[in-house]
Amino acid sequence: MRIGIVCPYSLDVPGGVQFHIRDLAETLIGLGHEVSVLAPADEEADLPDYVVAAGRAVAVPYNGSVARLAFGPISLARVRKWLANGRFDVLHAHEPTVPSLSMLAVMTADGPIVATFHSALIRSKMMAAAQVALQVVLERITGRIVVSDLARRVQVEHLGGGGVEIPNGVAVAKFATAEPLPGWPGEGGAIGFLGRFTEPRKGFGILTEAFAQIAPERPGLRLLLAGPSDLDEIELPSIVRERLTFLGKVSEPDKARMLRSVDLYIAPNTGGESFGMILTEAMAAGTPVVASDLDAFRRVLDGGRAGALFANGDVGSLARTMSELLDDPGRRADLAAKATAVVGEFDWPVVAQRVLEVYQTAIDASPGKVVPGADESLTAG
Amino acid sequence: MLDVAWVVGVVAVVVLVGTYVTWLAARLDRLHLRAGSARRALDAQLVRRAAAAAVLGEQADTPQDELYLAARAALDAPNGEREAAENDLTRRLRELDVTSAKADPALVEAVDAAGRRLALARQVHTDSVRDVLTLREHRMVRMLGLARRHGRPAYFDIDV
Repeated sequence: MRIGIVCPYSLDVPGGVQFHIRDLAETLIGLGHEVSVLAPADEEADLPDYVVAAGRAVAVPYNGSVARLAFGPISLARVRKWLANGRFDVLHAHEPTVPSLSMLAVMTADGPIVATFHSALIRSKMMAAAQVALQVVLERITGRIVVSDLARRVQVEHLGGGGVEIPNGVAVAKFATAEPLPGWPGEGGAIGFLGRFTEPRKGFGILTEAFAQIAPERPGLRLLLAGPSDLDEIELPSIVRERLTFLGKVSEPDKARMLRSVDLYIAPNTGGESFGMILTEAMAAGTPVVASDLDAFRRVLDGGRAGALFANGDVGSLARTMSELLDDPGRRADLAAKATAVVGEFDWPVVAQRVLEVYQTAIDASPGKVVPGADESLTAG
Repeated sequence: MLDVAWVVGVVAVVVLVGTYVTWLAARLDRLHLRAGSARRALDAQLVRRAAAAAVLGEQADTPQDELYLAARAALDAPNGEREAAENDLTRRLRELDVTSAKADPALVEAVDAAGRRLALARQVHTDSVRDVLTLREHRMVRMLGLARRHGRPAYFDIDV
């Protein structure tokens, strides 16, 4: 199948959507499909050979962070040229409700169009105001994929669409075979946390309090922390500070190594997590997971069989759960084994197969190839 | 001078409204076309699932007469009774105990795959019908009767 994928954000900035697109494209190529990814990027940029650069991206603040988007007449010309050269069987646009290359491609192309909706965090007031305009974009999309139940709720409540739920994939092999960091996990036990630890909803404060409770009886216990935040911005109990190893912001390969370096991975999030990507990554790494009992986490952890759950926000409950597991290597091995079985369902080749089924359905429901259409909707809309 | 300005203004308004209405009509045409294609794709998936189920019902070591009959009924159902017949087939497939029927795993997988594709085709169809119905409710579309040339698409409400 000839597949054209559009990435809204610049590929040289790391981000969930960009990683998703890279992994999906490489998996599809591995399955024997012809894939071209159109993304905002400089022509001189060092890009994988399946990526077509659509010109320099402009930094735009969006959803609390800075997105690098390409939007405008030059980008439009590149999109039309890419569509004309590609002769794709299906067009797959990611996050088409963000004004970006994705939206341009959806508005420009005629034929089978599939879109994936990633974000669960959408300001609903803005959404309601833009609804009429967004409907013009959405109604051009034949197959709609949502990556999580939360993303689906956003879709249904604010965008009026349904959508097929296909979770984010995990490159299981990359995580399962990564080399632990030298000297880790060590004899005294090691606990891991990765993420923006300054954000209260990530629950890092709950973890540090629970760690401070159990650390005095466990002189060798260590905490391995990674994340793109500043350690000076948070208050830490002194015992946590003594036992802490901080890696800062880590690359993808180092993330896999970090997850393989601990006896327990803790996800103390208090809410707002749409899927729990990091959980599936820890599971793929073969590290037992302890997570707060949010709906999303409960689902990924198969109701607590593939990882331990503790009462959301409850320091005592987390401290007890960590203690029990640190003392019980058999139970840890059991959780890790069940997690390996569960995470197989999130492995990229399996997930890509489900995406291909959506492609085929879209192709059946809108005959013909993807072509740059007449400009009716852009000139008059 | 004033008269010329008026004429220019009126002409501009007429051109703008005309362009808008043309665009609206083109959108409406495209959405109806897509709903029609989605419906044909859904029909094809329904037939594929029923055919796979009929083969499974016939070929299982312990013949599954009820499954076979439900699949035949789904294939032969006239338009008004189609949804009920398809729902009946879905129920039979759910009740089917694959182990005790000693069914060929390849046939079971064929039915499962057809079921998954059917769920996707139904989703695509539902989305396209919702889009058409939303636009048909548009004030301008109703006022000018732009949708008159097209039949009103209907949801196909089945459990898969």
